[in-house]
Amino acid sequence: MIYLDNAATTKLSDKAGKELLYWASSNYFNPSASYNQAFEVAQALAGARERLKKMLGAKTGDIIFTSGATESNNLAIRGSVRDGDWNYIFSAGEHASVLNVAKALQSEGKNVKFIPLTKDGDVDLSALKNLVDSKTRFVSCMFVNSVSGAINDIASLSKIVKECAPRALIHVDGVQAFCKTPFKSAELDVDLFSISAHKFHGPKGIGALYVKNKAILKNMIYGGGQEFDKRSGTENVPGIMAMLVAAEETDVKSNLLKAEKLNNIFVKQLDCEGIEYVGSCKKSPYILTFICNGVNGETLVRMLEKEVVVGRGSACSSKKAGNHVLESMGYPLNKIKGLVRVSFNASIDENDVKEAGQIVKQNYLELLEKVK
Amino acid sequence: MKAILLRFGELFLKGENRHIFETMLFNNIKKKLDGEKFKLSKTQGRLMITEFDDTERMVEKLKTVFGLHSLSVADEIEANEKDICDYFRNIKLVEDTFKVEVNRGDKRFPIKSMILASKLGEIILKNNNDVRVDLYTPEQKIMVDIRANGKAYVYERVIRCQGGLPLGTSGKALLLLSGGIDSPVAGYLMAKRGLKLEALHFHSYPYTSPEAKQKVIALAKKLTNYNDEIKLHCVSFTKVQEAIHKNCLPEFMITIMRRIMMRIAEKICQRDGLGAIVTGESLGQVASQTMQSMTVTENVLEKTPIFRPCIGMDKEDIILVAKNIDTFETSILPYEDCCTVFLPKNPVIKPKLFQAENEEKKLDLQKLIDEALESEEIIHIKAND
Repeated sequence: MIYLDNAATTKLSDKAGKELLYWASSNYFNPSASYNQAFEVAQALAGARERLKKMLGAKTGDIIFTSGATESNNLAIRGSVRDGDWNYIFSAGEHASVLNVAKALQSEGKNVKFIPLTKDGDVDLSALKNLVDSKTRFVSCMFVNSVSGAINDIASLSKIVKECAPRALIHVDGVQAFCKTPFKSAELDVDLFSISAHKFHGPKGIGALYVKNKAILKNMIYGGGQEFDKRSGTENVPGIMAMLVAAEETDVKSNLLKAEKLNNIFVKQLDCEGIEYVGSCKKSPYILTFICNGVNGETLVRMLEKEVVVGRGSACSSKKAGNHVLESMGYPLNKIKGLVRVSFNASIDENDVKEAGQIVKQNYLELLEKVK
Repeated sequence: MKAILLRFGELFLKGENRHIFETMLFNNIKKKLDGEKFKLSKTQGRLMITEFDDTERMVEKLKTVFGLHSLSVADEIEANEKDICDYFRNIKLVEDTFKVEVNRGDKRFPIKSMILASKLGEIILKNNNDVRVDLYTPEQKIMVDIRANGKAYVYERVIRCQGGLPLGTSGKALLLLSGGIDSPVAGYLMAKRGLKLEALHFHSYPYTSPEAKQKVIALAKKLTNYNDEIKLHCVSFTKVQEAIHKNCLPEFMITIMRRIMMRIAEKICQRDGLGAIVTGESLGQVASQTMQSMTVTENVLEKTPIFRPCIGMDKEDIILVAKNIDTFETSILPYEDCCTVFLPKNPVIKPKLFQAENEEKKLDLQKLIDEALESEEIIHIKAND
């Protein structure tokens, strides 16, 4: 089986696995306790925050460890909501863990606006200019779109927002970008940044939210006061330490080159009439999304599953009909039905990708013949 | 001591065969209460349960046994005047009006029913302030049942049960279980008439999802509340559908599909000793459920009748039953079944037999049916799994 759904989740790296076990079974002390063993764990935890900040290229601000990106996104949005006549802006291509919070705010009576996507797949920055004003409190936009792989120009977005609304907070869901797309956070100039460990060979159930100024963030979970009192609960030390190891062992630049190579190999093998690649803006090579015209992508995914595992956009929304990202890009439903997403990691063998491309093509043509 | 009195439904009508029905009911109750502590005994045309722990749980389970008409949870006391009167002295009424009813199942009891009832009524009047007797519309009714085993049973509520006939007394049949709302209801209604069911599900993997199959397993599991256990036959219909799609007129897709499903169902019935096919069809609900469609569909059956208990029911009525038997929420989960794959835009509403037969000539029917049967997977679903 060739696994090509790495945007959904990745395999835990051996090194991260060992780290996880060490902090779970050998150095398992509660960092909040009073004895010296606990103090050492607390020190390691403080070190982990600094290490992660460094990887994000952030000189100021703090790291709040969470259970993953969904919690990070919820905390970022809910924690930023204020009483008063504010508006909140979200890109229409966001993950469900952002979009559904936005919809909840809307139903609670908040002024919520959505930035449409261009037909190329990135957020429409010219549309954003018309949405943002001095009453804009919060803007959320994902860095790399989990469905299309589109890379949004976060630096330009920040500039537009800060010009019209200097007090607005900018949140970036960086789940598909962190450890995959090189960036300098100073250039991005964002206030909140979400990451999730299992997207870069760390364990599931651990993630983080970078926050530039934690004072602006409201507390969401009350308890013992951990995570700067923003998110109480005994810290998931094994998860945190394993996440750091997974992140630090990633060579972002060379992996990116490898992903580009794998992407090209796959495209070369798959290329045939009826295949239509999604989005023509700048895209992450880790994600390759295409429409298999004339067939149902869900059926194709199941046909392939014994040999090649591929996805259908965001795994969290894969059971729902339609796809909000492609809809926002202007794709009609009959095309969206044929959506398939393959996503790579840098350790995949080139020959496997070549073989996978051939298998996908062969099965697509076979299915097309059966249903036409 | 507490006792549960169980009353039969239609069993009285069954004349010479009554003992068969009674024995089946007796065994079905024992099976339903498997794992519980209880003693089940027969007494004068009734069944009685004693020595149990959790009354509520027992009642909930017994309410799903077909063949039981009603039940009452009673206090068991010695059937003599002193003990009965003592018991009534301790009764504290919660309502303002009441009535006492006495039934002497044991005519050897020396006091006649009416006399005992009025005597017990007097006791209640004496021990409760501001209450009065109302023989016609009492707010609280206290019933005394004096049985030949030397015991009297006192109870207030008669709880309605399912009625119907004991499961298995009408034989065995094969339910076509699609995953929709109607077929589980059809299964329930026929099980209520004493048919023990097995179920047949057609899936079209990879066109249908594993969740769709899981949904059918969940529905079958719900039906085990009434059907004890279900042997679920899962048959792949993928190749049949692909062949019909490739070779036949699109508007005949559903008609031919249904005819092939019936053939496969009949083969399973013949092989496994099942006497009928049960479907959830309701007249005119969809294109395949018009009179003409059903005529053409059932024409392929040689030895097996089809029972369609929902045939005259409105969708709303079917949904009501589905909610009562707790299958509705599962049925509406949004997973496609095989009938929605290759769905034509305009399916034929009034097919003619010769048209369907002509279309089928384009297929290697025997091969398709054999291949489908080869794919059969059997899942045993038990109530307590």
